[in-house]
Amino acid sequence: MHERSLVQTLLNQVQQIVADDGGGVVKEIQVQVGDLSGVEPLLFESAFTELAREWFPQECRLVLDIVPVKAECRLCGQCFEVQDNEFLCPACGTGPVEVIQGDQVKLMSITVDSENSVSGAKS
Amino acid sequence: MNTRVLSVRRDIQAEQKADAAAERERLGRRGTLVINLLSSPGSGKTSLLEATARHWAGRRSMAVLVGDLETDRDAQRLAPLVPVAQLTTGGACHLELPLVQRGLQALGDPAVDFLFIENVGNLVCPASHDLAEHLRVVLISTTEGDDKPGKYPKMFRTSQAMVVTKQDLLPHVPFSIEAVTEDALKIQPELNVLTTCAIDNSGIQEWCEFLEQQYQEKIESVYEPAGNQ
Repeated sequence: MHERSLVQTLLNQVQQIVADDGGGVVKEIQVQVGDLSGVEPLLFESAFTELAREWFPQECRLVLDIVPVKAECRLCGQCFEVQDNEFLCPACGTGPVEVIQGDQVKLMSITVDSENSVSGAKS
Repeated sequence: MNTRVLSVRRDIQAEQKADAAAERERLGRRGTLVINLLSSPGSGKTSLLEATARHWAGRRSMAVLVGDLETDRDAQRLAPLVPVAQLTTGGACHLELPLVQRGLQALGDPAVDFLFIENVGNLVCPASHDLAEHLRVVLISTTEGDDKPGKYPKMFRTSQAMVVTKQDLLPHVPFSIEAVTEDALKIQPELNVLTTCAIDNSGIQEWCEFLEQQYQEKIESVYEPAGNQ
């Protein structure tokens, strides 16, 4: 169940980023999970529910955005959505193809409540 | 109350991936090819390593880091043949880089030609962790069914080679090399496919030649002169 280890990594980063930005109460965490990331969203959510309780005493929502797998053919440049795990170029049929989307677990944004006005969004 | 949204847009494993890339570079520069071996439990990783060590005895140097949830049984099997360290995960389903680095330290960080990481038997979780390998190899035994690649796509997508083991059992089991190869190549068209049996040594020479070719391509051709740093 490596989702637990990934959630621990995620929460560690959230805590650091929020602390660096002036602190506050974490209300929502948005994460992109690719279909080829090896992460099972339900297991990720349940690990989050369990661990977030320890890390953030206040209620914190996890928003998962599931991203389909997209690839680009290295020969003909065709971009296509990968269906049924078939990584063959639908245009030229030869491949090889490069995965350009769908293998990521990406922390997208953190919503924070604080008493005082601080710096605001950073990129 | 002030609500703010921090835009991050960062791979949560970015730091681990950077650490793995740095370790891969360090080991490659001093002449070591790192091979991450992944498979289901009981597919024959340890037997393949024993056969590899016997084949190379005195000609190429190798060391093995063995990952298991409990016991050092596989390490005990390999210890008479090659330097070996056991990595006990204590229940965790995969290895991560810090544990691999601890194992390397336990071995005295030997400058061997080939460092094998025998991952925890599992076709799911180990696929998500970069252990600084130059080559990822997935094993599939003839006893476990030829439909595995489609069931565990990430494992096969992220591997560069697939070794079908226990080929001596082919007459006794419903397993088709053609079917497993076709299934795997849909997921990873560039996969190298090898077939072995560690009991009668069939395919072991081809496996070792494949590794030596990988050594040439990924170490000798990249870091010149090899092994002198």
